[in-house]
Amino acid sequence: MSTECTGRIYDIQGFSVQDGPGVRTTVFLKGCPLHCPWCHSPESQAFYPQLSWMNMRCQGTALCQSRCIEACPKGAIELGPTRRDSKTGEELQMVHVKRELCDNCGECTQVCYPEALYLCGEDYTVDRLMARLLRDKPFFRKDGGVTISGGECLCQPDFTLEVLKRLKAEGIHTALDTTGYVKWEVIAQVLPYTDLFLYDLKHMDSAKHKAATGVPNELILENAKQIAANGGKLQIRIPVIPQFNHDEENIRKTAEFCKALGDAVTVVQLLPYHSLGAMKYLRISDRTPVEAVPPSDEYMQKLKAICEEYGLNAKIH
Amino acid sequence: MYVERPVTDRVKKIREKCRNTPPKLDISRYKLITEFYMEHPELTGILLRAKNLRNLFEKMPTLINDGELIVGWQGEHYRCSPLYPEVSWDWFMRELRSNNIRTRKVDPYELDEEDEKYLLETGDYWVKNNLSAIADEYMPRKLRDELDLSGVIPFNAHGCGHAPVGHFTANFWTATQKGFGALRDEARAKLQDLEEHGIFGEKVYSYHFYRAVDIVCEGIIIWSKRYAREAERQAAACTDPVRKAELLDIAERMDWIMEHPCRTFHDAIQCIWLYQLAMCLDGQLHGISFGRMDQYLGRYYEKDLAEGRITEDKAQELVDLFMLKVAEVNKIWSEMATKSNPGYTAGMLITLGGVDMEGRDATNPVTYMFLQASQRLSLIIPQALRVHDETPMELWEAAVECTKVCGGIPTFESDRAIIPAMMRRGVPLEYARNFSLEGCVEPTIGGYEWGQPGGDGAESYINIVNAFLMAINNGANPLHTKDGVEHRQGPATGYLYEMNSMEEVMAAVKTQFEFWMPWHANCTNAWETMAAFHRPLPLVSACFTGCMESGKDVMWGGAMFNSTGNSCIGIGNVADSLNCIDQVCFKKKLATTRELYDAIMHNWEGYEALRQQINGSIPRFGNGDPDCDKYMTFAANAYADAINRCVGPRGNHYCAGCYPVTLNVVFGEMTWATPDGRKTGEPLADGISPVQGMDKNGPVCTMQSLLTFDYSKYGNGTLCNMKFHPTSLAADNGVEKLVDVLKAYFEQGGMELQLNIVSGDTLRKAQEHPEDYRDLVVRVAGFSAYFIEVFKDMQDDLIRRTEMAL
Repeated sequence: MSTECTGRIYDIQGFSVQDGPGVRTTVFLKGCPLHCPWCHSPESQAFYPQLSWMNMRCQGTALCQSRCIEACPKGAIELGPTRRDSKTGEELQMVHVKRELCDNCGECTQVCYPEALYLCGEDYTVDRLMARLLRDKPFFRKDGGVTISGGECLCQPDFTLEVLKRLKAEGIHTALDTTGYVKWEVIAQVLPYTDLFLYDLKHMDSAKHKAATGVPNELILENAKQIAANGGKLQIRIPVIPQFNHDEENIRKTAEFCKALGDAVTVVQLLPYHSLGAMKYLRISDRTPVEAVPPSDEYMQKLKAICEEYGLNAKIH
Repeated sequence: MYVERPVTDRVKKIREKCRNTPPKLDISRYKLITEFYMEHPELTGILLRAKNLRNLFEKMPTLINDGELIVGWQGEHYRCSPLYPEVSWDWFMRELRSNNIRTRKVDPYELDEEDEKYLLETGDYWVKNNLSAIADEYMPRKLRDELDLSGVIPFNAHGCGHAPVGHFTANFWTATQKGFGALRDEARAKLQDLEEHGIFGEKVYSYHFYRAVDIVCEGIIIWSKRYAREAERQAAACTDPVRKAELLDIAERMDWIMEHPCRTFHDAIQCIWLYQLAMCLDGQLHGISFGRMDQYLGRYYEKDLAEGRITEDKAQELVDLFMLKVAEVNKIWSEMATKSNPGYTAGMLITLGGVDMEGRDATNPVTYMFLQASQRLSLIIPQALRVHDETPMELWEAAVECTKVCGGIPTFESDRAIIPAMMRRGVPLEYARNFSLEGCVEPTIGGYEWGQPGGDGAESYINIVNAFLMAINNGANPLHTKDGVEHRQGPATGYLYEMNSMEEVMAAVKTQFEFWMPWHANCTNAWETMAAFHRPLPLVSACFTGCMESGKDVMWGGAMFNSTGNSCIGIGNVADSLNCIDQVCFKKKLATTRELYDAIMHNWEGYEALRQQINGSIPRFGNGDPDCDKYMTFAANAYADAINRCVGPRGNHYCAGCYPVTLNVVFGEMTWATPDGRKTGEPLADGISPVQGMDKNGPVCTMQSLLTFDYSKYGNGTLCNMKFHPTSLAADNGVEKLVDVLKAYFEQGGMELQLNIVSGDTLRKAQEHPEDYRDLVVRVAGFSAYFIEVFKDMQDDLIRRTEMAL
């Protein structure tokens, strides 16, 4: 494989303590075949670099003379809402991106000095990414390592595979955070270089799965079985989403499925729904998702107990 | 597994009293010293100090409070501050006459009217008769004529050292194991020997020194026995048989300790307290540190435990009570100086853990007791934990649990980095292993090395940002330019707009540093020499290794090792400013050197777009960016090399450090705008931490930048604050993961870290000023986020949850 191979990345996070064992650096790849309405990283969904807008950083057009509006070749930026500066109390005139006109060319980001406008998604060569990851190696110590996440990292299979191979050659623990919605052949290729799969199970009913995420679940479940059968390790993650999959029956079915996977399953993580990603939608669109009420701690404990009935090592968060 | 244990009722009551008693000025010490100095104009130097101290020992009130098992205090009132008129006084009379003492914004004090009257009647006696006033006269002429108010060095033509600090660690090994009776006898033998063999040359000074040691050793024994009498008096009047027995036990102990070697854990912890208090009483309170408490006490505890004299709970209660005595201590400073150290702090740092002199892990049960006390009593008494490759996991956990409750307590100090830094200033390995921390983070060999990390009473902080501004403004501090007329104080290194390359800029910075550091040393040496004459410390010297042997007071260079410390402020701004000049003027050519110069000199007014461009697009130190890190290395070396070459008052070299107390804010108020986009008056960077809000890539990247330092040049210590949100540790193994990161940092050569696992209070501030909290990571549920980037309502929710969690 040539090192010219590139991957599209939207974030690299050090001291990532939630994405697998130990202290990890997590690489987030852009693009996902699923479109879960509760997704807390909406910027991860599209495969192309996306113009993003963070209102808190905008210093107001009085200061920059609306350079971004001038710079846009499509006329896609206009004067928008205002906000009050937290220090001076001044009312700042901000801008608004007309998404229907924007083609994500990024011209405006060149003139937005405070980086209120920026392109989300950047191409990395394997070498460049490896150089960045190897810097963190001394911090991984015995348990930590690198997690490749997304989006769906296996939608960029060549890049992901090459990075995993290089990481293993460096003796670094690897984890893949995946939806499982890819061809088995792709997983089979990365399996020998993946120490742990962080594997989402969103719903056991395929029709409901498809209705919410846009894809059915058969391939996902089948791949999980195959990973287990081929010696892979799985940390199952269940996002607990009210009105979708939070009912006891679904959790029981999921737990039953996990039990059948046997020793391959190291942990079952129950991740209660939260609305913290909601504002991120405004960075790349004009809409926010419909919000639900997060499940209570008591309810989460109850679900945990159910998983434990099946002999699973269950955790909340 | 480390767990927090319940607190006894006795401790609870005293803690409440400590937290609820407003500090008050107490004139007991002031009265005694005023009378003594007035009655004895014939005394001077070391004999004056020794006899004065003995007089205090004989006459100070002996306060024993309800429930106390560790006794000793320096006034008539609980949690009072004594006064030290012989050290610096001008500011006090000014604040007293302007009715500022009771009403000032930072650390006000209560004062009885009668006492106020006495102070007003007698206070003028001291205005010119104090060390600070004397030092003013003896400062180099150039300071008064040319360098006054430079903004770089802390010395000015008037009011030198008006915030004296103690900044040393006595030899508590000698105090507990040998006792002052033996030391007194040793001094008497030396005197007899000199009398028999002749008193001439340097021996004249030695003779005075031993006389002084004899006087103060006898004095501290008398003081201890006076507490025994007070305990007996209270016991006689006590109807509660339990308390009566406790008082009689106190009496028996106070009769024994100080004169004789300590027998038990209780003896030792009482002896350490009384000795510490005696040194405070002698005149330099702030920053006198305890050193390796767990090492002094560990063997006594284990022996008592083995012989059935103590239980773990009893020992823990004594540690709690000891900590509450320390928490009681405070000293009034001038309002201005208090801004650098607010909160009635006393800077009495305790060191725990580390290796012993043979290099073995020195952790013992007492190590945990001190962390436990801080954690369960939520006290702000500073503690430093020495860590090394063999530090037990349980101790790491205990420390993180403690710092979760008490932000930044303990600090983590790496043996791996500090021992070599100590050796670089000439301390042999065996002794270097025995280092402890003083004041904030300053390493010294407590009891062996007269480290003077803060200077002795002279403020030791250098504002290197002003030296940097002089480098690009032809030697003038822009703050002092009036009506277009510059007041040049540093070398004429030219203006930024005359410079054609970074080499020229860096050469100018070096020239300024190399000019100002020796002047800092000249002034500190002038102060120290006056202090050595007017305020020697025979009570400290009696125990300090080297002094009795050499016949010299610690202030005269009698200790086994000597050093003088220094600390720079604003190094992050210098590094970032250099990188910004490089990027803006030479690499990206966003502006010419003339434009950038004008922008800075106009405090960015009319140049806001350029400022935004700099803030938005120029990388900063603390993000693992090699260019910035290169400039940090340059700045760190330029300062350290310049100061480390300077020679101190005891023939020793100076030693670089970088810790700010809160002076980065105070100095920032008095520092002009800088090329890194900082406006006039804004705070400077804190210690070696990245400039506030500029570390955007998380703790691992910050640590990578911090690892570019050559810490062996920073023998006087460095300080880096890192913030973590409590929820980022809440998940399974969260503490372990944090410990993993810390271990990795120290294994790669990191020197010091302190963690703020922040509270709801901080989060509220973050809401108000999000731009200052850009790097605050919150763990909420399934993912981490930057706090300021989540919705207001959710922020409120997080704040509520945080407070519940704590």
